[in-house]
Amino acid sequence: VNVGVAHSEVNPNTRVMNSRGMWMTYALGVGLLHIVLLSIPVAWTLTNGIHNLGMYVFLPAVKGTPFETPDQGKARLLTHWAQLDYGVQFTSSRKFFTISPIILYFLASFYTKYDPTHFFLNTAALLSVLIPKMPQLHGVRIFGINKC
Amino acid sequence: MRTEPGGCCCRRPVRAKDCVANGEVRNGYVRISAATAAAAAGQIHHVTQNGALYKRPFNEGFEETPMLVAVLTYVGYGVLTLFGYLRDFLRHWRIEKCHHATEREEQKDFVSLYQDFENFYTRNLYMRIRDNWNRPICSVPGARVDIMERQSHDYNWSFKYTGNVIKDVINMGSYNYLGFARNTGPCQEAAAKVLEEYGVGVCSTRQEIGNLDKHEELEKLVASFLGVEAAMTYGMGFATNSMNIPALVSKGCLILSDELNHASLVLGARLSGATIRVFKHNNMQSLEKLLKDAIVYGQPRTRRPWKKILILVEGIYSMEGSIVRLPEVIALKKKYKAYLYLDEAHSIGALGPTGRGVVDYFGLDPEDVDIMMGTFTKSFGASGGYIGGKKELIDYLRTHSHSAVYATSLSPPVVEQIITSMKCIMGQDGTTLGKECIQQLAENVRYFRRRLKNMGFIIYGNEDSPVVPLMLYMPAKIGAFGREMLKRNIGVVVVGFPATPIIESRARFCLSAAHTKEMLDTALKEIDEVGDLLHLKYSRHRSVPLLDRPFDETTYEETED
Repeated sequence: VNVGVAHSEVNPNTRVMNSRGMWMTYALGVGLLHIVLLSIPVAWTLTNGIHNLGMYVFLPAVKGTPFETPDQGKARLLTHWAQLDYGVQFTSSRKFFTISPIILYFLASFYTKYDPTHFFLNTAALLSVLIPKMPQLHGVRIFGINKC
Repeated sequence: MRTEPGGCCCRRPVRAKDCVANGEVRNGYVRISAATAAAAAGQIHHVTQNGALYKRPFNEGFEETPMLVAVLTYVGYGVLTLFGYLRDFLRHWRIEKCHHATEREEQKDFVSLYQDFENFYTRNLYMRIRDNWNRPICSVPGARVDIMERQSHDYNWSFKYTGNVIKDVINMGSYNYLGFARNTGPCQEAAAKVLEEYGVGVCSTRQEIGNLDKHEELEKLVASFLGVEAAMTYGMGFATNSMNIPALVSKGCLILSDELNHASLVLGARLSGATIRVFKHNNMQSLEKLLKDAIVYGQPRTRRPWKKILILVEGIYSMEGSIVRLPEVIALKKKYKAYLYLDEAHSIGALGPTGRGVVDYFGLDPEDVDIMMGTFTKSFGASGGYIGGKKELIDYLRTHSHSAVYATSLSPPVVEQIITSMKCIMGQDGTTLGKECIQQLAENVRYFRRRLKNMGFIIYGNEDSPVVPLMLYMPAKIGAFGREMLKRNIGVVVVGFPATPIIESRARFCLSAAHTKEMLDTALKEIDEVGDLLHLKYSRHRSVPLLDRPFDETTYEETED
């Protein structure tokens, strides 16, 4: 039980997104990605796309924890998004990470002047990231994606 | 203990009147006025709420992480994670050699034995800096120790011993607070004599035929040392906690345990079957709120009153270096009629003018603490644990404790070591060696902490605690610090995530009475050099009192009823 550990927190993954400076690091990271991509013409859509791809992989796709937890693997079948704050919905971290792709979407739509192709791509990317975060889909696996 | 000239007393923030107001805890010393409240924002001169309970200044501080450092730490972990995924990919496609355990070819279709992702952190982060832990030593771990040199040619997956021994490394990692970890001297001679007389093994439990007269002598001595009616000793410190808490509480009782309690307390609490609620570290407002809620609402669903409420705290918390706010805890306990279990594993022998632990340090009455638990491993140079309290309690534990019924009792030479060292500390062996050791430790602690703070490092914890955590923050610096210090002949213990919160990795120094001032000066000089080399001097001399520490009011816990 928590051997070699200095706290009684069972799964540190739940508290990582709440730690000091995490939100700022995330914002800076996205900003850096955008600046790197500014040299290519379709910069905003690319930023939006890559950001949403990364977010999809790390939050609602990867399951379990990268370290062994003393709760005998309760979280093994849970994605990181489901593990945040032990499954309590509408906490501040969850709200922040739900709103940030929406903000990126607004910026991308604005800067691509609402062009139809770009609009289609951006909306698809946004939906792929927003839908898994909805509380109705907590623990649900549609079409058998990500089961087990 | 001399107080620092010009230092301010208990730094605690000014609280509004509608916060926690209870008759016994507050006193007439509160000076809250609009002027002070406004001025408090500008300066760090805080007024204490419960000042009359403390007979000495309580200086504890945890400086906040600088934002730039936090951001860089996350970037560091991010880069390590990306590289981890890359290396896993290479290993999967056999481009890189795979060193860890894999399943056999014939069993590929069975249910997998290992969960690959759970070892991600171990494979990709821990293995890189694994040479800082589990270093084999080959001498007694006193103030100086000999470490066997080892090399690795495959990035720490396996080690080879070169045959050299690094001699006389200054040991800042052992819990050797009073310097009793020696292989010469009166303790060793007494233990050798007892070894000839009684042998090594007891081969039985306390209740059967393993109750020696040495154990009775030890228990009387421990009871008189602590100032309680009776005491009982056990063979293992961890087992003392984990086997006795289930004997004291059971289903229908409530345990209020500190956030940073040791694994043995957590295990004992879980084994007992009682409901566990966790309060913020050393935060008396959080504890009081939990107590109030417990008494008002009772047990969940049935609303019946709790059978017992037990508060679990430690004397010194060994990862933070903080000391429990014992006067306030005792006042709360008396007001709400709860029981107090105090685990003095690190503080017995190391705190207090006569070395009797944290109760002595605050000048309180040992009768106020219902169950005083401690270990002999740290300050007495032996092994085992004890529990002290009223005679009825100890008689009950003699029959009902799991350790007494099933576990072997302490070995006789170890008992003699404890008896001799305890008599030495109490001054009963006719010398002043004990008193000198206690004073030397206190001076070492003050000096070391003051010098480190002046150099500009961020140090956590209380001014008087012999455990000194020095913050490193970034994952790469954990490995670098450990290795650089060993190159300069100083052995330290470093800790990182997930044993600590993600941005708070640290190096932990344990001071000892056996360290002379020259050793401390050498160590400080080397720490200074390494600090400059690795840019570890983050402090901006702005410490935040613990109650202001930015904790989330809204943290969530696993509920498991």
